[in-house]
Amino acid sequence: MIELQGLTKTYAGKNVVEDISLRVESGEFGVLIGPSGCGKSTTLRMINQLIPLSRGRILLGDEDVSRLKPEQLRRRMGYAIQSIGLFPHWTVAENIAVVPNLLKWPRARVDARIDELMNLFHLEAGEYRDKYPHQLSGGQAQRVGVARALAADPEVLLMDEPFGAVDPLTREVLQNEMLRVHEQTRKTIVFVTHDMDEALKLASKVAILNQGRLVQYDRPIELLVDPADGFVSDFIGKADLGLKLLSRRWVDQYCRPPCLERDSGAGRHSWEVDADGRPLALHGGRLSDDGEARTAVNGEWIATPEMTMKEALSRMVWFRVMVLPVIDQAGKLIGEVTMEGVMGRQP
Amino acid sequence: MNRASLFVPTAPRDWLLPVLAALLVALTLFMAKLEPLFAAAFPHLDVVVYQRESFLQLTLDHLGLVLVSSLISIGIGGAAGLFVTRATGREFEPMVSSLAAIGQTFPPAAVLAIVVPLAGFGFVPTIVALSLYGLLPVVQNTIAGLGSVPPTTLEAARGTGMSAAQILWRVELPLAMRVIIAGVRVSVIINIGTATIGSTVGAQSLGTPIIAGLVGDNIAYVIQGAVLVGLLAIVSDLLFERLERRFRYGA
Repeated sequence: MIELQGLTKTYAGKNVVEDISLRVESGEFGVLIGPSGCGKSTTLRMINQLIPLSRGRILLGDEDVSRLKPEQLRRRMGYAIQSIGLFPHWTVAENIAVVPNLLKWPRARVDARIDELMNLFHLEAGEYRDKYPHQLSGGQAQRVGVARALAADPEVLLMDEPFGAVDPLTREVLQNEMLRVHEQTRKTIVFVTHDMDEALKLASKVAILNQGRLVQYDRPIELLVDPADGFVSDFIGKADLGLKLLSRRWVDQYCRPPCLERDSGAGRHSWEVDADGRPLALHGGRLSDDGEARTAVNGEWIATPEMTMKEALSRMVWFRVMVLPVIDQAGKLIGEVTMEGVMGRQP
Repeated sequence: MNRASLFVPTAPRDWLLPVLAALLVALTLFMAKLEPLFAAAFPHLDVVVYQRESFLQLTLDHLGLVLVSSLISIGIGGAAGLFVTRATGREFEPMVSSLAAIGQTFPPAAVLAIVVPLAGFGFVPTIVALSLYGLLPVVQNTIAGLGSVPPTTLEAARGTGMSAAQILWRVELPLAMRVIIAGVRVSVIINIGTATIGSTVGAQSLGTPIIAGLVGDNIAYVIQGAVLVGLLAIVSDLLFERLERRFRYGA
């Protein structure tokens, strides 16, 4: 758990961060977001004392961090920045081992930890352990940066726009990995970004900052449906608000039992399944009210319970069907999501 | 294979160093064997190979002068460069840079003229002149090298919880080392050439046969001294080039 109480930073008589109080609970993914110059990075750097705070208090668990030596504090908090933060003269393994080595872990434990982390980030240890940062792609370097931050199993992970320097495709992959790693490690994370989609995707709670002040600190869905003021709603962006909402909804929230009966009347659809319960084809369910149209199910126009509704909707639009089969890991049909369902559920 | 090393023209020079080093050693030990050659080239001279001291002795003396003065330059220059790149010494940077620059604008001969009346003839005034003269490249490159470490790398280092000393030894110095060594390389090469002037105030070096040759109108002595100084400088340069290459990290 990490708590900021009345955090203030004054430069030359001007408050760049003013009276910020918020609390990220253990295992939560907290995101600080705002336009450039809003004080989000300054706030993050005050947490590990890279910048001294002017007023206020920071609690790590029930400890006041100002009582700790900055070096000791930083070894207990992982810190990940853009990929250029890797040490260019050290191999991947040496980069990951920085903090464990500072903490004087025994050699064997450090080695085991390096392998464990490389495994967690799907980096083939045999291939990448002894590579240097300039031999890695942007996405790989960023994975190493996050692995380094996690190396000594810190209580808190601080991340300052870690995916800012990678291309959009890689960024999406890294975000998914970050979600998976958070799921697996349940670390308390404070993450700074200026990308609202990234914040909505990753955060369990989002803090929106403007001109050094905390405007709203809420769960993503509440920011969307109940913005504190005009600044928040402008910052979120109204144009695709509906889609953003759906990006915080999951298929299992919309899933309903599948219709397997062929002759349930005009305008209805039904599924054809094989002996193992896997969907083979959809009858009807197209835009044209033709109950007889048969559409074979393929690997792409399906939904899984943990898929976002935004993605499910996107697939319906792309494959021009009014309904998607929801399948479990064995490929068995367990339900369906429909276009009416997307529209029908209130947020 | 290191990707960056593809852009370094290493291949044609790798054979150059052993060949020139062997030539240097052979000439140092066996210069007298070339007597017929010099005699044929300069028939009017009575003695064609310098013999008052052995060339081995002169070369060792010469190296001694360069080694001591370079260690002083590196010690003082490195420490000064380090000091002005720390938070406490940052405001002294312009002053230190100008002082080092002034040290190099003084011709070594002028420094000798000032130091000889104070410290006497021989080794000491030569060392003072060479050390001052070699200071600038070391100071400049130490400042430039430490300044070239990316701020994000430093921030990452602080963020991992390294102390200031750990950051200096583990991150800043290794990353700055290539540039610092380049400065030392220039300083040493300059001093190998300049050390010959020490012979005008009685410090024994490879300048001794050159001065003797100039005074006694014996061009063979001049050539013998000059060729050895030249070879020494080239061999040292190639050695430093190899050393620098070890501190190249991709980028």
